[in-house]
Amino acid sequence: MNNRLRVLRAERAWSQQDLAERLEVSRQSVNAIETGRYDPSLPLAFKIADLFGLTIEEIFTNPNRKD
Amino acid sequence: MKTSTVAGRRYLKRFVPTMIAYVVVLFACVWALKELHPTGVALVTLSVLPALPVIGVIVVMGLYLLEETDEFQRQRIAACMLFGTGVLLAAVTIYGFLTNGGAIQPDPDIAIWGFPLWCGAWGIAQCVLTWRDRLAGDGE
Repeated sequence: MNNRLRVLRAERAWSQQDLAERLEVSRQSVNAIETGRYDPSLPLAFKIADLFGLTIEEIFTNPNRKD
Repeated sequence: MKTSTVAGRRYLKRFVPTMIAYVVVLFACVWALKELHPTGVALVTLSVLPALPVIGVIVVMGLYLLEETDEFQRQRIAACMLFGTGVLLAAVTIYGFLTNGGAIQPDPDIAIWGFPLWCGAWGIAQCVLTWRDRLAGDGE
């Protein structure tokens, strides 16, 4: 699933490791989500959204929506 | 296996002593079977003893899956375990049909290699996924 995680992270000058520690997951997980190889569960998606102060839809692209 | 999580490090702390126990028990039992020529209950006990640490390793792996809180790592390990299970089942099925058809003679020791085959296939799957990560730019 496409997402803005890398951009949001870069805006805050966080490394993948920084973000991983804030989310309490491994750096590999952050990388897999950023590159679209892994779709996070709903609880983790909410955790990511809370961390950036955004909604899930503002971070992750809805794959069912064409616009 | 990646050890970047708490559960991963706990897994290694359990796995290493269990494998050391396996090696010690295996050598001791093989020696006892060859030198002491036990019979009856002693023979059965000495034959089964090396399997106990292997069962312990399976339990340690199961505990890791239960305790891992990193959902990506857990999903990945589960996928690799399923790959290992698939390879093992395929190998056993092929072997079964080969012996059933008379193409090869049944080997009474073959079952011992089931767990190592499963672990080996798991390891190969893990290597492939790690390689795929590197290609995807997992180097930050």
